[in-house]
Amino acid sequence: MTDARKPQGDRLTEAEAIERAKQGDAEAFEILYNLHKRRVYSLCLRMTANTAEAEDLTQEAFLQLFRKIGTFRGESAFSTWLHRMAVNVVLMRLRKKGLALVPLEETIETEEESPKKEPGAQDATLEGSVDRLQLQRAIENLPPGYRTVFVLHDVEGYEHNEIAGMVGCSIGNSKSQLHKARMKLRELLKTSRAEKAIKP
Amino acid sequence: MNCAEFQRVLPETIEGGGTAEHQAHLISCPQCSGLVSDLNAISKTARLLRASEEPSPTVWNSIEISLKREGLIRQPLRARSVANRSAGGWSLAWLVPVAAGLLIGFGVIVYQRGPAQQSHVAEKVLPATPSRQVINRAGSNNNNDDQQVLEAIGSRSPVVRAEYAANLQNVNNYIRDAEESAQADPNDEEAQQSLMDAYEQRAMLYDMALDRSMP
Repeated sequence: MTDARKPQGDRLTEAEAIERAKQGDAEAFEILYNLHKRRVYSLCLRMTANTAEAEDLTQEAFLQLFRKIGTFRGESAFSTWLHRMAVNVVLMRLRKKGLALVPLEETIETEEESPKKEPGAQDATLEGSVDRLQLQRAIENLPPGYRTVFVLHDVEGYEHNEIAGMVGCSIGNSKSQLHKARMKLRELLKTSRAEKAIKP
Repeated sequence: MNCAEFQRVLPETIEGGGTAEHQAHLISCPQCSGLVSDLNAISKTARLLRASEEPSPTVWNSIEISLKREGLIRQPLRARSVANRSAGGWSLAWLVPVAAGLLIGFGVIVYQRGPAQQSHVAEKVLPATPSRQVINRAGSNNNNDDQQVLEAIGSRSPVVRAEYAANLQNVNNYIRDAEESAQADPNDEEAQQSLMDAYEQRAMLYDMALDRSMP
């Protein structure tokens, strides 16, 4: 997404909308909101797994953005700026709720979290295909720490060094959490697929 | 290299592709290659979730109200041409200033009554009934105004009408609560302020509804 894009037919480009929003133009605010609402809301929803909270956080993220829009100088892409702000709003909320984003030390894998494997048993696979809705549900069932790193890396595309900076952990810890999150998701997806196969 | 050794280095293998030894194990082991394939599929599908959800329209309404309240939104740059307004639009145009004026005026009266009652409180206790009647009358007028606004907006978009109905309901509840608090304790400045805020929110909703009902 670049600043030159035309958001709605022949209406303002993003860059024009930003300039007009700085002047307090209502239409420009709405254009910017419509351009980015899905990405911001999806991020909030994935991270919290709660619709009402995600809407509340989306509102908060956009309000913060609009309050600070006068300071935006275009050194970074507007979308990067907004999404970083949204991530911070969500992380702040999760911290306030007392949810550990990631343990400071390497996590000790509990029996529940580690993939169950019987010795000698053939490990069923997902055959390389994953249903989007099932993945969505599986993400909701991840422990918050795993979920945060997985969403930031695999959904939002942040690098481990960025995630480490945002959540306050080491790069190694971020990598480790991501791997465990993927393994846990694989287990959840296999379980869900097996349950679906049993049901007529 | 066996499966246990491979799976110990799996995170690095997925991130960086792995060494020739890792690749050789992957080719020879269907179980490990199945695992890698699954993890890659999970990552690939996850990217599709990036902007997959749509927030409800009430989110923008709430943002818009907050922006107006904080003074971040000023008059839109595009001027609305008087000539372009339809007769339907004009039939409602009187409603907003009148309703907003009535609401704010009513709020000011209630607000000013607080200190007045405070000064007379030692002389006599005012009966609560008359002011409640005034509020009830105002509430009834507000209901009529609400209906007119909703009918106007409903003619353009039933979905938006439902949003506004819900928002008006919330604001009306807010006004009712604030009125009760202000009546219970006329010296409570916070309650008076809440009441004023509630009236302003309602006036803003009318304003926004009129904007949307215009062609």
